[in-house]
Amino acid sequence: MSTASLTIDGLTVDFSGFRAVDSVSTVVDAGELRVLLGANGAGKTTLMDLISGKTRATAGKVYIGDTEVTAMSEHAIARAGMGRKFQIPSVFRDLTVRQNLEVAASPSPGVFANLRFALPSSTTARIDEIIELVGLGDRVDTDAGTLSHGETQWLELGMLIAQRPKVILLDEPTAGMTEAETMKTAAIIKAMRGEHTLVVVEHDMAFVKEIANRITVMHLGKVLAEGSVESIEKNQAVRDAYLGSKGIV
Amino acid sequence: MPVTKNTLALATYVVLFLIILAAPLYFDVFWLNRFSKFLVYGMLGVAMALCWGYAGILNLGQGLFFGLGAYSIAMSMKLASPTSLAQGSDTPIPDFMLWNAEPGAPIDLCCITNGSFLWIPFKSQFFGIAMGVVLPTLVAFAIGSIIFRKRISGVFISIITLAVVLLVRLLVVEAQPFTNGFNGLTDLGYLTVFGHEFDPYYVSTYYLIAISLVVVLVLARILVQTRSGLILQAVRDDDRRARFLGFDVPAYQIFFFCVSAAIAGYAGMLYVLVAEFASPTFMDLAFSITMVVWAAVGGRNSLLGACIGAVLINMVEATVSETPQLIEAWKVIMGLAFVLAVLFLPRGIAGLVSRLGYMIVRKPQKMPAARADAVDAEPARAG
Repeated sequence: MSTASLTIDGLTVDFSGFRAVDSVSTVVDAGELRVLLGANGAGKTTLMDLISGKTRATAGKVYIGDTEVTAMSEHAIARAGMGRKFQIPSVFRDLTVRQNLEVAASPSPGVFANLRFALPSSTTARIDEIIELVGLGDRVDTDAGTLSHGETQWLELGMLIAQRPKVILLDEPTAGMTEAETMKTAAIIKAMRGEHTLVVVEHDMAFVKEIANRITVMHLGKVLAEGSVESIEKNQAVRDAYLGSKGIV
Repeated sequence: MPVTKNTLALATYVVLFLIILAAPLYFDVFWLNRFSKFLVYGMLGVAMALCWGYAGILNLGQGLFFGLGAYSIAMSMKLASPTSLAQGSDTPIPDFMLWNAEPGAPIDLCCITNGSFLWIPFKSQFFGIAMGVVLPTLVAFAIGSIIFRKRISGVFISIITLAVVLLVRLLVVEAQPFTNGFNGLTDLGYLTVFGHEFDPYYVSTYYLIAISLVVVLVLARILVQTRSGLILQAVRDDDRRARFLGFDVPAYQIFFFCVSAAIAGYAGMLYVLVAEFASPTFMDLAFSITMVVWAAVGGRNSLLGACIGAVLINMVEATVSETPQLIEAWKVIMGLAFVLAVLFLPRGIAGLVSRLGYMIVRKPQKMPAARADAVDAEPARAG
C-alpha cells in the first residue's frame, strides 16, 4: 500500500523557445528511491530546479503529498517538505560540522522564533544519530571548510536528513568520489530510503543498480521510459537513445 | 576544549569592562570626554562586525545610520538650547531658521521655513531619543528589504549603501532651512532625562556611554550566540544552501542589518551628547570607510575585536594628531594597517590575540593533532 509522495504533472519550462523540460509527468511513491537517468542536456538538473523552486515552471504542477508547491519560493517549498543536494557540494564552510547539522535541524524557519539558544534535546539526540550514520564522529568540531570532498558530501547528506524533508532530491551524489567513498555513500543513501522519498540523478550504473527502486529515463526534456532496472535495460527506445547497444553494464 | 576558548573571550570582556568602568577613577573630565568618543567609535565597531563579519554584508554607508541617530537627538537638543528660546517667540526656534526664513514668515516652528513643522515633535526629548534609534532602524528596514528581497549580494550591496549615504548627505546639506546645511547643528542645549542634565563634561555622561557600550556588547554577543545568530552565519557562508534548508534568508539579513543600524544610530546619539554637534560630515564617505578599517584591523569576525580595534585606533590617532608632521602621515599609516590586516590578518587583531592566547594556554597539555587543527581554524569566533 503506497501513496504518492511527489507528483509531477505536465511540468514544462520554456527558455525563449527551447523546452529544456517538456511536459514531464511522474509519480514517486512514499519511501521510493527513484533514479533519473539521461544524457547530458536531457533536462535532469533543470527538472530538479523546477521541482525545488529554483527555476519557475512555464506550465505544469508539482505536489508534495497533497500540497501543491508549484508557485512557492524555495524556502517555502523546503518547509513544505523538500530537501535538495546540489551537484557541487554546499555546506557552511566557516561553521563546524555539528553547527552545520544544528542549522539544518532547526525546527522553525523564522528569525524571531530562533532567538533562543539550545535545541530541543530530542533534536540533539537526532543530530548525534546522524553524525553516526554519515560517519563524521571524529570531525564534529572541525570547520566544514576543511573537510575532504567525500566528507563534505556526507555532511550535506546528513544536513538533508536533519532537515527531515519528505522528498529529497540528490544531484549526482557520487560525482568525483573514489570507489570506497561511493560505497559508503550508497550505504548512507540506502539508510535514508524508506523514511524519505528520494529522487537521485546519477550516471554511475553500478551505483544505480545498487540503490534504485525504479528508473525514469529522460531524453531531450521528455520522459522516454520509466520502470524497474530490468525493464529499462530491456527497453529498446532507451537502448537506442542512451545506453547504446550494449545495455546497462 | 571550547571551554578554554570561551574562557579566554570571557576574560577579555571582563578586563575591557573593568578598564572602561574604572577609567573615571584615574582621569579627569576632559580626558573622560575624549575617551567617551572613543567608546562611541567602539560601539560603531560592534555594529560593523555584526553587519560585515557575522552577516557578510559590507555596508559602506554605516555613517547614514550614525548620522540619522545624531541628527534626531541634536534636533531635540537644539530646541533646548538657550539661543533657540531667545528668538522672539514663545516657543523655541532654532536660530538658523530665522536666518533662512522668507521675510515676513511667522516666527513659529509650524511654518517658519519649509518642513520646519517636522521639528515640532522634537520638542520632546524622549521623542528625539526614540527617533535616534527608530529612524535608523526604519531606514535600514526599507533599504534592507529592497536589497535582500531582490537578492542583491556582495559588492553591489556596498555600492548601493555607499550611494545612499552620499545621497542623504547631499539632501542634508541642500536642505539648509531645515538642517542648517553644511554647518550642521551646533550650539546645542543639554539632554535632560528625569531632571538630570547630561553635560558632556560630567562623569555621569561618561558612565552613560560606558555602560551603554557594555550593554550593547553583551546583547550583541548574546544575539549572535542564539540559533538565529548561527543561521545568520550559515546564510553568510552559503545563502543558497540556507534557502534550500527552508530559511527565509532575507528575513535574517534584514533583521541583523536593522540591529546593526540601530546600534549605529544609538552611537550617533551618544556622540552628540559628548561632541555637542551634529554635522553632515558624519555621512562623509571617508567616515563610513574608516569604520570598515577599524573592523578589519580589530577583527571583523569578532564583536569585541572590532570594538577594541576602533577604540585603540582612535586613541592612537588622537595622540598622533598632536604632532603636526604626523597628521597627514596618519592616513598613510591607517591605509597601510588596513592593507596589512587584509593580507596577513584576515581575522584582525582579535584572531591574532586569540591564537596567541590559545597557544599559551594550550602548551602544558598534549592534544591530538586533529583537534589542534580544528583550533587553528577557528580562533576568530572566540571574540
